[in-house]
Amino acid sequence: MDFDFSPIFDNWGFLAQGLWITIELSVATMVAATLVGIALGLGRIYGPAWLRVPLTFYVDSMRAIPVLVVLVWTFFAFPLLTGITLPPFWAALAALTLHIAAFVSEILRAGLASIRPGQVRAARALGMSGAQIVRKILFPQAVVRMLPAYGSLLSVTIKDTAIASVIAVPELMRQSETISAQTFRPIEVFTTAMLVYFLILFPVTRAVEAFYRRVAHLGRS
Amino acid sequence: MTLDWNVVWQYRADLAHGVLLTIALTVATMAIAVPGGIVVMLMRQSHVRAVSWAGTVFVEFFRNVPLILLVYWAFYVLPILADVQFSAFATGLVAMCLNVSAYNAETFRAGVNSIRKGQLEAAMAMGMSRSQAMRKVILPQATRRILPVLASTWVSLFKDTSLVSVIAVGELAHTALQIRSQTFRVLEMLTAMAAIYWALGYPQAKLVDWIHRKYGVTE
Repeated sequence: MDFDFSPIFDNWGFLAQGLWITIELSVATMVAATLVGIALGLGRIYGPAWLRVPLTFYVDSMRAIPVLVVLVWTFFAFPLLTGITLPPFWAALAALTLHIAAFVSEILRAGLASIRPGQVRAARALGMSGAQIVRKILFPQAVVRMLPAYGSLLSVTIKDTAIASVIAVPELMRQSETISAQTFRPIEVFTTAMLVYFLILFPVTRAVEAFYRRVAHLGRS
Repeated sequence: MTLDWNVVWQYRADLAHGVLLTIALTVATMAIAVPGGIVVMLMRQSHVRAVSWAGTVFVEFFRNVPLILLVYWAFYVLPILADVQFSAFATGLVAMCLNVSAYNAETFRAGVNSIRKGQLEAAMAMGMSRSQAMRKVILPQATRRILPVLASTWVSLFKDTSLVSVIAVGELAHTALQIRSQTFRVLEMLTAMAAIYWALGYPQAKLVDWIHRKYGVTE
């Protein structure tokens, strides 16, 4: 069999556009999911009881439903229910955020729970308020301990943006499908796309690991 | 807007078949990916450079590409590489196994490495052979640390099986999406699909939490 990689060179601009949207969608999702996830997590731990139950239910449900299902539902079913039609990119951003935020809140909860309760008691004994304890004692240590899990969530997010191709977001995966269908060169196109994803994800994973190794001592107690 | 939830009941046999395939794919993938992960882990620990390098490349590559792309890739490349026509189910299974084996290999390696080296040395100093020390000292402890992670992988894997719907494996997601386009009952079918996944996945997620609490190691 012979390979012909010329479709990739002929359409590199089209593919680069897709790559750019992949990056945009990943960054936007991560930022939004982090903010929503922190709100969710804090609400779950420090919120009133009537808030905790529904939040826990929401987080556990998101952990149980595939992201594909959330994406498809947001894009196809949500407009029927509300009359609001979201363009593919925004639907993908909303769905991925709803999904990833649940995981952010779980990571936050685990990070805060990993700090020994003796530290909170000691801070109390020193006369610190609840908010002060969270801000000055718990958060600085928990943030460092959360880093590895947060880093793998970052790579999960980048990988999950590829699923947005199902609702026709013109990101790298979708653009590759288009090119492969037009040129009948699926092997070359998909292999290239796989390498491109790898070349983004591998350095990200490594950078997070290296960064964590440098700051890990700050999270020890 | 008029909703017709009857459509879900009407297609219950198809949906049940989809659920069955989803479960079959999850079980089959894990059944292959556990021994697969052990093999890859052992490869990485090999003293032969080429073998350990191959193991590392396998793990790093398949953990760092999107699964949905891997599914597509397997769909187009497998028939050419192996020169046989695979069924959609088999293709999906291969893609899932490559992905999950890579994750499992990492899990096993981390589990075994988490047991301090002094324990192996102490066991050997007491006259145990290397394999005895592995079997009686290291592995029983490592298992406790591996099990919770494996359980989390199981839930992710269960959810990820929905991705093979893109190559028309007739599992739950594909079945539901097909019924949707046949009946135009979009809201009903998509909500039913989400509800079925939830009903299957929620108890699993809770079970995993329980396993983490029971077996989790806290410092």
